[in-house]
Amino acid sequence: MNLNRYSLLVKRQTRPADPLPPCRRRELVGGNEAMAIPMACAIEMIHTMSLIHDDLPCMDNDDLRRGKPTNHKAFGEDTAVLAGDALISLAFEHVAAKTRNVDPHRVLQAIVELGLAVGSEGLVAGQINRRLMQMREKVSLEELEYIHVHKTSKLLEAAVVCGAIIGGGDGIEVERLRKFARCIGLLFQVVDDILDVTKSSEELGKTAGKDLASDKATYPRLMGLERAKEFAGELAAKAVEELRHFDALRVVPLYHLADYIASRQN
Amino acid sequence: MAFSTVIMSSPHAYIPKTASSPTIRRRVRCSSASVSTQFDLRTYWTALIKEIDQKLDDAVPVLYPQRIYEAMRYSLLAKGAKRAPPVMCVAACELFGGDRAAAFPTACALEMVHAASLVHDDLPCMDDSQSRRGQPSNHTVFGVDMAILAGDALFPLGFRHIVTNTPTNLVPESRLLRVITEIARAVGSTGMAAGQFLDLDDEKKFGEMGRCSAVCGGLLGGASDDEIQRLRKYGQAVGILYQMVDDILEAKTETDKKKGKSYVSVYGVEKAMEVAEDLRAQAKKELDGLEKYGDKVLPLYHFVDYAVDRGLVLGSNSFDN
Repeated sequence: MNLNRYSLLVKRQTRPADPLPPCRRRELVGGNEAMAIPMACAIEMIHTMSLIHDDLPCMDNDDLRRGKPTNHKAFGEDTAVLAGDALISLAFEHVAAKTRNVDPHRVLQAIVELGLAVGSEGLVAGQINRRLMQMREKVSLEELEYIHVHKTSKLLEAAVVCGAIIGGGDGIEVERLRKFARCIGLLFQVVDDILDVTKSSEELGKTAGKDLASDKATYPRLMGLERAKEFAGELAAKAVEELRHFDALRVVPLYHLADYIASRQN
Repeated sequence: MAFSTVIMSSPHAYIPKTASSPTIRRRVRCSSASVSTQFDLRTYWTALIKEIDQKLDDAVPVLYPQRIYEAMRYSLLAKGAKRAPPVMCVAACELFGGDRAAAFPTACALEMVHAASLVHDDLPCMDDSQSRRGQPSNHTVFGVDMAILAGDALFPLGFRHIVTNTPTNLVPESRLLRVITEIARAVGSTGMAAGQFLDLDDEKKFGEMGRCSAVCGGLLGGASDDEIQRLRKYGQAVGILYQMVDDILEAKTETDKKKGKSYVSVYGVEKAMEVAEDLRAQAKKELDGLEKYGDKVLPLYHFVDYAVDRGLVLGSNSFDN
């Protein structure tokens, strides 16, 4: 479907490294990249699906995404809903049908992780709470963290954990990487909030200043810009701490990923 | 006028007379003449619905945030649901000697993705339906945003549910992957989403669901590849047949027309009735090759007649409920 490809292939402005994490996890625990590619693609499909649905008029009502008109602006609301639905299914189909040389048991475990990240315990929960919080005057830091963990962290966590599962990681390795992912997932959102305050639409590739304009709860708003920057630093340090337990050479890409997320400009 | 009588006493089936148009009687030879007609589909189906409803209720407890679970449950547990996809799945599984415990998680998953696609179909930007399964549609109760998210949550829940609940001693894991692939394909861009996109209310979508349900049941029951092929064609024929008969009934009662094209709206009732008979024959023909399973083929066999005759009162008469 053209509309699926439109959203998937538009130049990434905000998360270019995304397809890589699962592969890196895979290699980190002893697998090879080829085994993880279907999962990496599935994660990207899910991410794209969530953006398409988030941008809809009844949700965040965004006109711009990744530097171009949002999917529903280009193709219509009905098509955008269906494109999202098709992408969720395609993601699961892709993992189930295209993952090669991996024990079916591991593929199934990865599918469970993916399901948890996408649904009512993951992305959906985050989006719902975000919408509920938008209608409230005061949002606590815990509530804000819940939203970001579920909207952003969980999918990143799934990417990392699924990569590790597919790569043959044991329980302890998987859990270390899960913690790593939770930290960088939250870090991503904190940095996003900081950038929204400090950058323009053109640089960001999406509508800027929306957070301030809409009174949305953000880290800078709740803890002040300076403290938010410190918090970002703490998260990055925590993430990197988990990586200490892995082979120093193999873990380099993940260090760079954490660094990129912490210091990105768009 | 609705079809009023069940013609199950003869393997030579024909569509019964209706008040407003001449009967089209076509004698259809079914070589399944040896299949017993004593099977009570109503009891079988009603009992299965009870079990499936209970499992669905258990599968979606209300957690935090409550509202999304309420929205999911609202559509999933609607009283008017007929549960045709899960029943077909269980019947197909048992046909090959499978334990229904192997089929129930997938049967539930089929219902979850089916419910999800109906919630999205009903949205204002799609079919804009005010009611579904005998109750107000999801978005009219919970809002459009919640309805979209409820659907988005039900799709992945289905896949998770299959993996976490199917006993691995009953179904090899490689087969489970095939089941997941089958369902994902049915829902995705080659299947139901495409059907809605192309504005075909019936053929594409319900053929897909029927096909998927039958095939998944076969996979879970240990069917061979040839047998799976038969189920594929059977399921497709039955799925389309159900919807076509719905469209015929709707055309005859002149109730509010659904949006979108259907075979009936394009070719008219009489032609559609002929095609329905062909589909009935086709579906039964696929089951001919499964005679060795004896009485285990009865549920699937009788579904076909039920699709046409609808003499059983199980609630409202749509496959899409």
